[in-house]
Amino acid sequence: MRPEFFNHLLLISQFELKRSFATRKGILSLVTFAVFWYFILLYPLRFAAELLLQEKGLRQDFSFFDFIGFGSIQHWPIPEFGVFWQFALIIFPMLSITLAADQTCSDRERGTLRFIVLRCSRDSLFFGRFTGVMVIQALLISATALSTLALVLYRDATLFSLALPDLLTITVNLILAVLPFTAMMAALSAMVKSARQATVWAILIWTFLAGIISGFAYYLPALTFFKFLVPGYQLSDLAQLSGWQTLQLAYVPLLQSFILLTLGRWIMIRQTL
Amino acid sequence: MKSPIIHCQQLNHAYSGKVALSDVNFELVPGEPIGLVGPNGAGKTTLLSILSGFLRPTSGTVRLFGHPPGAAQLIGKVSALPQDAKLDPSFTVIEQLVFYARLQGLVKQQAIFEANRVLEEFSLKEAAHEKPLVLSHGMAKRVAIAQALIGKPELILLDEPTAGLDPVNVRTIRAIIAEQSSATTFIISSHDLAELDRLCRQVLLLENGIMQAEKIGINDQLAATRFITLQMETCPALEVIAKLQALKGVLQVTNPQKNEFIVAYDPDLQPHMDLQLMQCINTHHWQYRQLSHGKTLEEKLFFRDVHPT
Repeated sequence: MRPEFFNHLLLISQFELKRSFATRKGILSLVTFAVFWYFILLYPLRFAAELLLQEKGLRQDFSFFDFIGFGSIQHWPIPEFGVFWQFALIIFPMLSITLAADQTCSDRERGTLRFIVLRCSRDSLFFGRFTGVMVIQALLISATALSTLALVLYRDATLFSLALPDLLTITVNLILAVLPFTAMMAALSAMVKSARQATVWAILIWTFLAGIISGFAYYLPALTFFKFLVPGYQLSDLAQLSGWQTLQLAYVPLLQSFILLTLGRWIMIRQTL
Repeated sequence: MKSPIIHCQQLNHAYSGKVALSDVNFELVPGEPIGLVGPNGAGKTTLLSILSGFLRPTSGTVRLFGHPPGAAQLIGKVSALPQDAKLDPSFTVIEQLVFYARLQGLVKQQAIFEANRVLEEFSLKEAAHEKPLVLSHGMAKRVAIAQALIGKPELILLDEPTAGLDPVNVRTIRAIIAEQSSATTFIISSHDLAELDRLCRQVLLLENGIMQAEKIGINDQLAATRFITLQMETCPALEVIAKLQALKGVLQVTNPQKNEFIVAYDPDLQPHMDLQLMQCINTHHWQYRQLSHGKTLEEKLFFRDVHPT
């Protein structure tokens, strides 16, 4: 790998950060997300955490959270993080599909990528855009995790040292969880003509492909392996875990991302710009 | 002998089975601007896209400065104006040009200087902080050409650089190409043959994806048969042909379009054919508009079957 690869990767990912944090369109999306997150934090997350605390105090046999299938929330020492974990595992993969849908497609259709590939390799472009989108998501995840920490400290400031390891675990886990979704969108974006097409394909892959594979695997169990390749395969198992246990499944998104990025790079190298 | 900057061997490309380039072989050495002409659908944009690394050929070999298109060694050395490519609408012109310059390896200050330099060359300083969507077609085209000049590359591929531009901007672009052609080799694809006639000493002709074997030289001073193109004001064509045909040394007179005559002559028999023609025009009280040596590029390219008898 040539030294300019990393320099180009850095420049391209910085440009993507600028697109998200310093352009009108980017700022508008961020403000929308901030408002959306504010309401999640203020209502469902805060109320659920309060309910959980009340349940813990009552020590009753019946739990509302067990009833609705979110019993694992109770394993987290700080209830806010338990609720945040459940919310984030649904929200961030979906956000990733939207946020990462237009990594290269509209620029390719407009011809903008031609100006760029005259000056850097397609590898730098593909991985640079992917890195940029991943950094943006990592920042958003960190911001939401920190806002949850603020909510915890608002309730009880002495929980800071107890909350810190959970904050770190959740942040790392969520970044890992969105990794294969971003890689899938990078591959789809290199293939299709618009962000909308990429999103539609992602939803089809995410929902139907898993169902189809399960159907076939019923008759031929060897095919079960292919379910492993669908991004988010580990999410339902992950939701049942808490604390550092959540990293037990880290190999799944890492492996999925490696396979999807290899496929995306293959498409990008062959794509007409 | 200069080493070739472009080497194409048995280059083929097909779009879903439809042949766009067929067995294209050629070599170009650095120097004066080179024209690339051909009718619509001849494969000009396909060829330039392959040379720029935007498109992978179906088969064949392409080398630019000894490297395949898109190779890291070509960054900063080869640039292009892609046809119909637009800048990112989210960023200002200067932000994007600085970004491109930085990708070419310039540090931030150099990149800002270089981006401003190319914009200034095209009188685009006032558009530097605008977003591409507010630019007129002509301005956007000039910005797209300006980006190709960043870092003074050795080879620039221009696909239809003057299409849609007004005469003043066409003149600016022609002047910039002429000025930079001592250090940079330009390959210009265009339908504007008069423009290529002015700029290029050599022209490549593509027809139906096939590169014509001979490169057409603009300078034919050493040829055994020479030509003079005569543009007249309204005149009796048949009489003009008859009178010119009778002049000493004239081999053939053709009238390819209204009021335009091409005189083929033998320079050994009459080295001062231009003077003889002027005398003939004067004698018959005809009015002429322009007399130029050689044939127009259009005649050379598309009416090559007209030979003197």
